[in-house]
Amino acid sequence: MNYSDLLVQGLVEGCIYALIAVGLTLVYGLLRILHIAHAGIFTLGAYVGLLLTNETGSFAAAFVITIVAVGFFGMAFYRLFYEPILNKPPHVALIASIGLFVAMEEIYRLIFGATSISFLAPPLKDTVEVAGVRLEEGRIVVVILAVVLIGGLALLAGRTRIGIAWRATVSDAAMAESFGIDLARVRYINFFVASALAAAAGIMVALLLNQVIPTMGGVPAYKALAIIVLGGLGNVKGTLIAALALGVIESFGTIYLDRVLDRDAIAFAFLIVVLMIRPQGLFARR
Amino acid sequence: MTSWKFSIAAVAAVALTASAASADTIKIGFNTPQTGFAAADGKSVLTGAQIAIDTVNAAGGVNGKKLELIVYDDQAKPKFAVPIATKLIQQDKVAMSISGSYSAPTRASAGVYQNAKVPYVSAYAVHPDITRAGNYVFRTGILGSVLGKAAAKLVGDKLGKKRVVITIMKNDYGKALAAGFKSVMANYGIQVIKEYQYSLRDRQFGPIVSSIKGDNPDAIFDTGYWFVAAPFVSQLRAGGVKAVVVAQEGYDGVKFIEIAKKAAEGVIIVTALDRDSKNPAVRQFMTEFKKRTGYGADMVGASGHAAVMVAAAALKKAGSTDRAAIRDALASIKVDAITGTLSFNALGEVQKSLKVQEVREGRWRFHSEIVDAKLLTPPDK
Repeated sequence: MNYSDLLVQGLVEGCIYALIAVGLTLVYGLLRILHIAHAGIFTLGAYVGLLLTNETGSFAAAFVITIVAVGFFGMAFYRLFYEPILNKPPHVALIASIGLFVAMEEIYRLIFGATSISFLAPPLKDTVEVAGVRLEEGRIVVVILAVVLIGGLALLAGRTRIGIAWRATVSDAAMAESFGIDLARVRYINFFVASALAAAAGIMVALLLNQVIPTMGGVPAYKALAIIVLGGLGNVKGTLIAALALGVIESFGTIYLDRVLDRDAIAFAFLIVVLMIRPQGLFARR
Repeated sequence: MTSWKFSIAAVAAVALTASAASADTIKIGFNTPQTGFAAADGKSVLTGAQIAIDTVNAAGGVNGKKLELIVYDDQAKPKFAVPIATKLIQQDKVAMSISGSYSAPTRASAGVYQNAKVPYVSAYAVHPDITRAGNYVFRTGILGSVLGKAAAKLVGDKLGKKRVVITIMKNDYGKALAAGFKSVMANYGIQVIKEYQYSLRDRQFGPIVSSIKGDNPDAIFDTGYWFVAAPFVSQLRAGGVKAVVVAQEGYDGVKFIEIAKKAAEGVIIVTALDRDSKNPAVRQFMTEFKKRTGYGADMVGASGHAAVMVAAAALKKAGSTDRAAIRDALASIKVDAITGTLSFNALGEVQKSLKVQEVREGRWRFHSEIVDAKLLTPPDK
């Protein structure tokens, strides 16, 4: 058994989890909403990216247009569905979010059909050898994307005025507002970034599997939830580490634990253990 | 009540009365997933069933009456399937019913039909307990265990591959296939060098592929459905595994090839539908199916068609809509359906030969046939 194979496969999977979960944790950090419908936005990214690629023939162009378009969709989503219920107790938003997710799946089915759709000519399918491990180009692109997008996000948060406003709002919204920070703007940007990341993950998953179905958000919906809890809700760095760790643990678990534990159950077994020892999550500050 | 809500209610009421008013038809109940995760299979099976209904009705119907399918969406969930069964029996007063759904809902409804003594035919659900509900329950699809045995013969005998890796999808279907395969593999000199398990939701198989590469088998027997299998086979080939992949009905459909593209080439399956068949009924079904759905025929669609044809033949033989007479007709019937010549044993399981199909140049093609009555005999209790 080649351990480096398993490690690399796990890290690639972890990068996909990271792209999905970081957006989720951003929304939670800012608004205290468990945004289940985030997985529906992930699926939307997959559909839009695939259809645009088939239409234009250019994966790169489709990718850029999709993440921007879905980013704006995320802003509209916030404005339409979450903003009106911001003052309600948190479970209201949670229930709304679950309902929206179910509705999105069924809307995709009505529009795009229940059967899967595929790329006419899937790009990035050649394999290359990296450090003795054979990988599809698409998987390498996933890792590069995760590093660039999430690295870019870290720069945005740390080095720009928007980032400072965002961090101020996360730590104390009322105080931030009294210093003249436009809360609505911060929230819009937050949803734009989160949704764009989910869309990027959606397109890449669509490409790796060459298959988009209305229900493809089902597994990410609950696994990303486990990841952000592990990472300490709202903590981006923790979420990143939890995502990568889960990818690697699942990778080894698939081979060594398959008789005892379903791969999708590993996240939750891990979650239960962590909550028993560190109920604040692995990486929460307090 | 707001006016739009009222108009919806009114439309619904009219629609309900309309369906109840057509008393000159023979009603056949049909539960199938039309929404949710199994909606794609639901669409195929319903299309196949409706083609059969239209064919029968175009030829004058049965006993002077047209057939009518009463369809309800069970989302492939037992919690919906049970009330649907009750509704079909008590409210719609169907002569008999067909399950165009998965094992769990079919198994749950089978008991309801048995208690009410209403004949129930499972088109493609595979769990062994379905027909054990009683003597009113039949199955036109082949059992997973029988399919697994046929696959073992294909791998060890026809293809002569002896060192085999089995990849098992963790549900009733996958487990039954693997158990059937293993129960007879010694007869064909097959040795299973490793087994892997994965869930229905898995799409990323990197770790399993890496491990199989180290096993270096002659053949891989996979028990999954097409939507799991297409990424699996793609990733196997991308990972450099060259062993032949042998599979089963779960792969049967154009979608598998559409997704896996070149990686699909050379995949061999044991199934019920022969796409290169010269049988005019099969050819007509294939054309009509493509016309109605926009995609090529699959095993699930063909199963829906076969189940309706069996129902029509039983209704004709019974000569009435008396449910006990229909049951007796089913028990003794022999029907030439597009999935083969079908007859039932004492348990209500189907006996038929199987087709082997192979992907060549982006299409499912005829490979061979498995005619081995002894091997393919379903259990009768």
